[in-house]
Amino acid sequence: MTTYLIKRLGQGLLTVFLTVSTVFILIRLAPGDPAVAYAGPLATTEQLAKVRQQFGLDLPVLEQYWIFLQQLFTGNLGTSYSFQAPALQVVLERMPYTLTLATSAILVAAIVSIPLGVWMAKRTDTGKELGANILTIAGQSMPDFWTGIMLLTAFAVLIPVFPASGFATWGGLVLPTITIAILQVALISRMVRREMASNFAAPYLTVARSRGVSERTLTWRYAMGNSAIPVFTALGTRFAAMLNGVVVVEVVFAWPGVGSLIVRALETRDYPLIQATVLVTALLAVLVQLLIDLAYPLLDPRVRLGKAGSA
Amino acid sequence: MTLTDQAAARRSSAAPLLHVEDLQIELITPNGIVRAVDGVSFSIGRGETVTIIGESGSGKSTTAMGVLQLLPPDLAVLSGHVSIAGRDVLSDRKAITSVRGRSIALIPQDPMTALSPVHSIGRQMTEAIRIAGAADSTQAARERAVLLLQQVHIPDPASQLKKYPHQLSGGMLQRVLIAIALASEPELLVADEPTSALDVTVQAGILDLLLELQEQRGIGILMITHDLGVARLVSDRIHVMKNGVFVESGDVRQIVDAPQQDYTRKLLAAVPTLGEWDETDSPTVPEAAGKDPRHV
Repeated sequence: MTTYLIKRLGQGLLTVFLTVSTVFILIRLAPGDPAVAYAGPLATTEQLAKVRQQFGLDLPVLEQYWIFLQQLFTGNLGTSYSFQAPALQVVLERMPYTLTLATSAILVAAIVSIPLGVWMAKRTDTGKELGANILTIAGQSMPDFWTGIMLLTAFAVLIPVFPASGFATWGGLVLPTITIAILQVALISRMVRREMASNFAAPYLTVARSRGVSERTLTWRYAMGNSAIPVFTALGTRFAAMLNGVVVVEVVFAWPGVGSLIVRALETRDYPLIQATVLVTALLAVLVQLLIDLAYPLLDPRVRLGKAGSA
Repeated sequence: MTLTDQAAARRSSAAPLLHVEDLQIELITPNGIVRAVDGVSFSIGRGETVTIIGESGSGKSTTAMGVLQLLPPDLAVLSGHVSIAGRDVLSDRKAITSVRGRSIALIPQDPMTALSPVHSIGRQMTEAIRIAGAADSTQAARERAVLLLQQVHIPDPASQLKKYPHQLSGGMLQRVLIAIALASEPELLVADEPTSALDVTVQAGILDLLLELQEQRGIGILMITHDLGVARLVSDRIHVMKNGVFVESGDVRQIVDAPQQDYTRKLLAAVPTLGEWDETDSPTVPEAAGKDPRHV
């Protein structure tokens, strides 16, 4: 177990390191000049050169990378050009907003999609299930920026019950959460339906029914217990993905999270800020994935960590 | 109908544990409605073993599952009359829930898939014991579970309760399933090919156990099998099933020694002979068996 943990943590750190390094190189290969973005379109060549020198952008890329690595190991990710503050600090200040939105969205998605999926699984091949299926496919097909704008128009403009943007009150959480949850519910409920339907048809369920186990216990203890791993994995990986910033939704609702931050950082070619955002979100993604894997043996006794193909 | 009339005439006790009269089961399949069981009648008394034998697709398992009402309700239509321990379970759809896990219990075909893989043996056993009302506390249920595992000759029962199904062999799991079936002190066991998924050496042990329990408790058994060796060993009466009807019914010796129907002879010929009191070493219709690949 300890060996497994050390191995997984090592792999995770390597993944994060490679991700950050790749991003470091790629943003410097991409078109756009941070000096122009910083000094403005009217800046003279001398001014631009001065800005480049100030940010260390006049050095060869490899040397920049070497400096970046040295700073990385001291926990310094450089100073954000546009915020004129330590890049890591800027990212960490935004993190709670993204965490709040992601947690709220995944909770709503789980609370709605699990019962919905079970309901659909119990009505396989009926008209009601077909209706629910069409609705979920519609939910899956609506782009989130469109859903967001429609919800804004309906519930912030036409019937102004919720604020249109920002996170000043808890009411501001409602529309972005719903926007994200619609897509997640569509995806996860169909997965729950598939898993539950296959477990409803499993022999152990029929045998349990033959010894008088109630339909309720059969559904929630037997079928759900055996669907737990895929459902939990889906919820966990979607949550991990949301921590990287729900970019489009955050921009639509002017949500002060990591997603809208990365858009701004990219627009202004704010290299240290981009690198810091990628580092933090990659670390979080790796950590959440590790936690999901650690939960597997609790959900299914056949899973033994660190032993390939033992399930 | 003469065959079923004969079977009816042979009924031993006045109030059988299981009485099935003109049972019809229609299955709704993508290719239309199939009448899987077409008017079968039989009954089982206390301490009796009645076997339904037939090839795959003959309707024997469907009959057993129909009696227990374990067929999907939206895909199977049952008609006729089925009474379990005196309760009519076809006309009153709720009645089955009061006999399942109490008067009647199922021993399934494949023990490896018959228990929930993510719940421990102990949890599934104590649950069945609590449902049967045989214990009023978790502690009492555990003690009873240990006792039941002892009765099916499982070594070190207390430690088996902590295990999960994948940690036990098929033969052990079938013993666990028999123990679970016994949790409610049932009067009737439905054994749906209880040994077909097991090794031959393990099969004999399971059949011995069933016979031993029957002798001790006087349980009635409905045995479903395609294996004439099994049928001959355990049965009092045999019904030979083909295409949803009983083609021949009778006492075990009568069916084995003097089969009336060609189909029964083919079934007999398809099974390798291994019993003590079968003198006819050469199959009755060897060429027919050779031509017919259905009997596996």
